[in-house]
Amino acid sequence: MTDILIASHGHFASGLQSSLEILTGMGNKVKVIDAYVDDSDYTPQIEEFIKSAKRPAVIFTDLKGGSVNQKVMLEAADQKDIFIVTQMNLAIIMSVLLDSEPLTKEHLQDLIVQSQVELLEIPQSQQDQEKETVNDFFE
Amino acid sequence: MIAQLRVDDRLIHGQVALVWTKELNTPGIVVANDNAANNEMVQMTLKMATPTGKKLLIRNVDDAIKVFNNPKGANMRIFALTNNVQDALKIAENVKDIEGINVANVGRFTKDADDAIQLSSTLMMTPDELAALKKLATLDIPVFHQIVPNNAKTPISSLLKDAK
Repeated sequence: MTDILIASHGHFASGLQSSLEILTGMGNKVKVIDAYVDDSDYTPQIEEFIKSAKRPAVIFTDLKGGSVNQKVMLEAADQKDIFIVTQMNLAIIMSVLLDSEPLTKEHLQDLIVQSQVELLEIPQSQQDQEKETVNDFFE
Repeated sequence: MIAQLRVDDRLIHGQVALVWTKELNTPGIVVANDNAANNEMVQMTLKMATPTGKKLLIRNVDDAIKVFNNPKGANMRIFALTNNVQDALKIAENVKDIEGINVANVGRFTKDADDAIQLSSTLMMTPDELAALKKLATLDIPVFHQIVPNNAKTPISSLLKDAK
């Protein structure tokens, strides 16, 4: 399993951890930083993760260009094999958490492509839906 | 063959779609549910929940039993889902090749549950459901409770014993 740190402004990070726990039972496998919920400095927690995480590791942040993301980038700048993924969502974190392949940059890129937000179109009639058949199923 | 028959009142959802199909290595998912088989909207949401690359079949319980007994499926690992214990019992009594039955989430969406009995944090059983579960536990198939693979498998017989 890849070592994961999730960092956000406010309780988004621990909220994602709560969702991960319900969906996978693996909420305790990720580290989280809820920044700015009090006036403490969260930089030491980033340092600690970078120091202890086995490589490759992934740090997820909430917002590109946000201060949490900036801090993470500065701390990880001179590090090898720490991937920083920003604009995070539940889908990408679950994908990385449950993934069993070696985490390369290319593979991570694939997981990210599969985890985008999307606009859902609700089909208005049965014609819009393909009916699955038993033969298709056993093919 | 059915790699796992799961009773889950949400049918296909996050836990099932991503976590369990991976864990069980099942290329095919069969939802055996009379309501879903007749409701386009439910079918649409279930299709949406199915992971890319997995095949999905939604059938009423009787038709699903035919699918499970189809010789073409003998070597295919199938993940089967019902949303109540009675349907699972009917399948278990009419299908030979079932590796295990996981009674995972039951009763959270049951409206009329005044006399329901709680077996675990995610199992709320009406008297009818409890009777079906007791019958299920007597069959020659492992019947257990396991919400996510990370949890230990709890035998249903031990939950039934504790509930008395």
